[in-house]
Amino acid sequence: MQIQYKPRRSWLGTIFQTEILQGMGLTLRRLFSRPITRQYPDERPQIRPGFRGQHALVRDPATGDCKCIGCMRCAMVCPSRCIRIRSHKDKEPGSRRVIDCYRIEALRCVYCGYCEEVCPVNAIVLTEVYEYSRYERPSLYFTREQLLANWDRFVAQMDKPVKEYVNPFWRPRGQAERNLTGPKRLPVPPEWSGEQQVVGRKWRQHLPPEQS
Amino acid sequence: MTRPITKSMDIPVADGEGERYSLRMGPQHPATHGVLRVDLELDGETIVECTPQVGYLHRGFEKLAENKTYAQALILTDRLDYIAAMANNVGYCVAVERLLDISVPLRAKYIRTIVAEMSRICSHLLWLATHALDIGAMTVFLYCFREREILLDLFEELCGARLTFSYPRIGGVRQDVTARFIDGLQRFLDIFPSKIEEYETLIDTNRIWLKRTVGIGKVSGEEALALGLTGACLRGSGVDYDVRKHQPYDAYALVDFEVPLGSDGDIYARYRCRMEELHQSARIIQQCIDQLPPGPIAGPDAPDLVMPNKVPARIEAGTNVYGTGLIKLVRDRNLYISGDVYVATEVPKGELGFYFISDGNNRPYRMHIRSPSFIHIGALAAIARGELIADLIANIGSLDVVLGESDR
Repeated sequence: MQIQYKPRRSWLGTIFQTEILQGMGLTLRRLFSRPITRQYPDERPQIRPGFRGQHALVRDPATGDCKCIGCMRCAMVCPSRCIRIRSHKDKEPGSRRVIDCYRIEALRCVYCGYCEEVCPVNAIVLTEVYEYSRYERPSLYFTREQLLANWDRFVAQMDKPVKEYVNPFWRPRGQAERNLTGPKRLPVPPEWSGEQQVVGRKWRQHLPPEQS
Repeated sequence: MTRPITKSMDIPVADGEGERYSLRMGPQHPATHGVLRVDLELDGETIVECTPQVGYLHRGFEKLAENKTYAQALILTDRLDYIAAMANNVGYCVAVERLLDISVPLRAKYIRTIVAEMSRICSHLLWLATHALDIGAMTVFLYCFREREILLDLFEELCGARLTFSYPRIGGVRQDVTARFIDGLQRFLDIFPSKIEEYETLIDTNRIWLKRTVGIGKVSGEEALALGLTGACLRGSGVDYDVRKHQPYDAYALVDFEVPLGSDGDIYARYRCRMEELHQSARIIQQCIDQLPPGPIAGPDAPDLVMPNKVPARIEAGTNVYGTGLIKLVRDRNLYISGDVYVATEVPKGELGFYFISDGNNRPYRMHIRSPSFIHIGALAAIARGELIADLIANIGSLDVVLGESDR
């Protein structure tokens, strides 16, 4: 497609510089419209669910400790290798792994969210907290206790009960149920599970009336 | 316009007469869009020789990728062209899919096309904003950021990030779209054409803008091909080449769009091409929203992060790849034992190519990135030669370079 880009200008426009006046008129009109700037510290941006912010380990209400089972999947899938886990197994048969040390270097993290996605028990989460810059590096090497405290802080500022909180990366929207481990099959809105998928206008017309 | 240069300024003088002198522009110069240094040899105000120096933002992505699995290396592509990260992600995924012979469901293809075009609009808006700011039109800058903000909010709604998305996945996309996302996008598309009109009202026929752009930085079609220009820089010279049209990937073959072509090859022609591409991108997104089919978002043979069974677990996590699981996987999935593939996609800046060499491992043996910005910076020397130093700023802006992509 050949585009038309020769600027056409009439002799009237050349003399009276109408194009400048048009531009000025536009900016003048904008003077009376509502400002769109968000005055940040006073005006908080609206954070969407699934925002990838500060790291936290979910506190299990049953035990009061983290849910991690020491499967090492997050540590292996991490592209920046910022997760470090040490664990041991108790002597008795059938006992679960005990986590000795769980560390995340927040300064190396690239916030891709892969760890949340591979975690089979939804133990790790990137919360919606985004203001946690510090002046010194060591305070951003999160230990297990700090990560649990991060979760507590996040829960305290949440406006709904903890049980209803589902991170979109714990159960990716549209992911088939058979691909997920047991704890990841959380109850989600029908739109997330793929039952009521958003489809285009042309498809809605062809679907049977009870589905559309 | 010659003046004596004192020794203390530490600027090397090329000629004893003071007629010709060298000047280093950048890397801190605000109009070089990042950290580009241009070594100039000037005769008065005319550029005699222009040598762009890149590498200030080198992070070694090609080497880093050799130590990461295919899924892990995806996050590196976010940081190539950070203005249009989604288009890079899509390009990477398309390349790996062709290498590993993975099929993508139709719904995922449509979603990818939507997000790639959204990032094209984002990139073109930022280009227009900064290019106009360089030339001196401050108002357009603010107006463009207003619309870009809507798109960034939509991206956040979709995948939780505003710049580094890592949203497409090899064999599909990570998450399904929500009704809120589609509604927001539809609202954006409804208002967007009127916003493009606003930008055009401000600068399209503005005589200062025309003085700075028309007839400057001229590249003929043959010259553009010889310099390796792609994208709007090539199409502004009248060469009809668009990867989306000529080697369609994802859902581009299923939607209807035009490739805008200029003829003069000057800065104004490139500007008009990109403005027309904004219209075309909006048109593609509208068609994709209308045609969005139901179905899964990731293929059954996609190397999932959410692991359905043990074999993908091995290939994803990057444990011992020579284990027995991989041999079967290689056979089943036609993973190339020693193969290579070059796949080009059309990102906002031009043609982004990924060249992979695979030795059958779960990580690339070699990943080469053919980034358009790097080649465009190389062309800057030929374009700016013989022009005024003030037009160099306009030339850099119109080539639309991002140093993150050029230096990799």
